[in-house]
Amino acid sequence: MQKFLGGKSESRKQLAALPFAQKLILLEKLRDRSLLIASSSLRQRRQDARRKPEC
Amino acid sequence: MKDTLQAINQMQADGVIGPYAIGGAVGATFYLEPAATLDIDIFVSFEHHPGSSMITLAPIYDYLVKHGGQVEREHVVIAGWPVQFLPPGSPLEEEAIAAAIETDVDGLKTRVMTAEHLLAIALKTGRTKDKIRITQFLESGVIDTAKLHQILSRHELLARWRAFKDKYLGDNA
Repeated sequence: MQKFLGGKSESRKQLAALPFAQKLILLEKLRDRSLLIASSSLRQRRQDARRKPEC
Repeated sequence: MKDTLQAINQMQADGVIGPYAIGGAVGATFYLEPAATLDIDIFVSFEHHPGSSMITLAPIYDYLVKHGGQVEREHVVIAGWPVQFLPPGSPLEEEAIAAAIETDVDGLKTRVMTAEHLLAIALKTGRTKDKIRITQFLESGVIDTAKLHQILSRHELLARWRAFKDKYLGDNA
């Protein structure tokens, strides 16, 4: 577990050390992924199910 | 996003906005690992119109719509990114714009708030995502503690800072 957490921390440091321009490209990819998830039919079905009033 | 920043620089060159600074999640990304965000927060200085104490974003929206931007609620979509233009709501944001550091994105000049100002604004705003961002800043080691304390002191945020540290940082405070 400690090794896993250490690896994650190292990965975060490496990402933080990237040039700003590269980080902005990563932000675009993260945003595209977020929008894709938000528009997925699975998510829509879950939202619809939540909206249904309980009988 | 580079195209978006270029359009914002053009707005400044055309006199539509004064000095600006990138804040929020995109600003934080300058210092930290990238975190998903859907928009760009641009804090902008405005010149007050004579005889009016009102700050209006209308000239910005008019300009952008004329130049192909699309208004979506509080955002204007520029080159595919929703941008929110935020007038400084307090002296803290005014100071953050003035103190922003200049950087470049593949040769394009832009300005980003300092890490200490981003943290202070996050502390003041206080949403859950702001609190997460504060801990990320602290863990990253990019914060100049003395500089942060000066900012927090100037803007009467020290009590809130102590409360935050007691609640979230415990022994690490």
